[in-house]
Amino acid sequence: MAGSSIMPLSPNEAADALRDISQTESRSAAAYGNHMASPHMILWGLIWIGEYGGYYLYPQRPLIFPILSLVGVVGSFVIGARMQRSKPARFSWRYFATFVAFLAFVSALFAIIPPTRSAQIGAFFPLLVAFAYTLMGIWRNMPRIGIVGISIGVLTLIGYFYLQQYYLFWFALVGGGALILGGLWLRRI
Amino acid sequence: MDQPDPVIHQTVRLKIMASLKALPQGEAIEFVRLKTLVGATEGNLGAHIGNLESAGYVDVEKDFVGKRPRTRIRLNKKGRRALEEYVSYLRDIIDTPAEGKAT
Repeated sequence: MAGSSIMPLSPNEAADALRDISQTESRSAAAYGNHMASPHMILWGLIWIGEYGGYYLYPQRPLIFPILSLVGVVGSFVIGARMQRSKPARFSWRYFATFVAFLAFVSALFAIIPPTRSAQIGAFFPLLVAFAYTLMGIWRNMPRIGIVGISIGVLTLIGYFYLQQYYLFWFALVGGGALILGGLWLRRI
Repeated sequence: MDQPDPVIHQTVRLKIMASLKALPQGEAIEFVRLKTLVGATEGNLGAHIGNLESAGYVDVEKDFVGKRPRTRIRLNKKGRRALEEYVSYLRDIIDTPAEGKAT
């Protein structure tokens, strides 16, 4: 292995080696991102099924949404803390600020464009998630997450426009299912 | 650097180092995932990781998840520095004018 005389590389060979390094780093970073995102996606798929499925079965209990969402937020934090073993888990102010910004955005949006039917609210959040995943796929070089985002968006629109009678059931099954399948898909390199 | 680092100057080991460098600092990767990323056989990958560990470039942790054995590999500071120097060496080759290389 460690010979005393190593053949010097030509500029072309050096350029090839640099390209190999860059490509390998990109693949590894994307695989790491997928690996980290996978359990979150599966968790939120289950939460999603619980929320929409629960509301479909028990429409008189709308508290299902905030309660399960809170379970999801706590679950995501626990998963993140367990997976990132290199760093101690810490609660950054950015998480809280993100949560507040999200609430403010949704409140302001609904104040300006108030939804008139529950199906609109039902479709809005899946579309928001779809948009976020699509952006993540584009900007963080994670095409699989982008594909999951686009799939959720398209399926949500199909449910909203063509399956109004069953939209809650549709969002539960398809939205939650897409997240779970997407999460399982991300686990594969 | 006149000569490339002989430990890194090998295709599979270079891929291993590059894969590990892409992780956040201090983060480890499981052997099976690294195998898929690098595209090496199990025995081949194990031998190269052994070389990198002997050179002090990577740390290898072995534990159990339930009853399943797990091997995790992490690039340490020395390894990160060695890879950066190797990349500098490659860049120097590209940046040096061709006529200067003839001597």
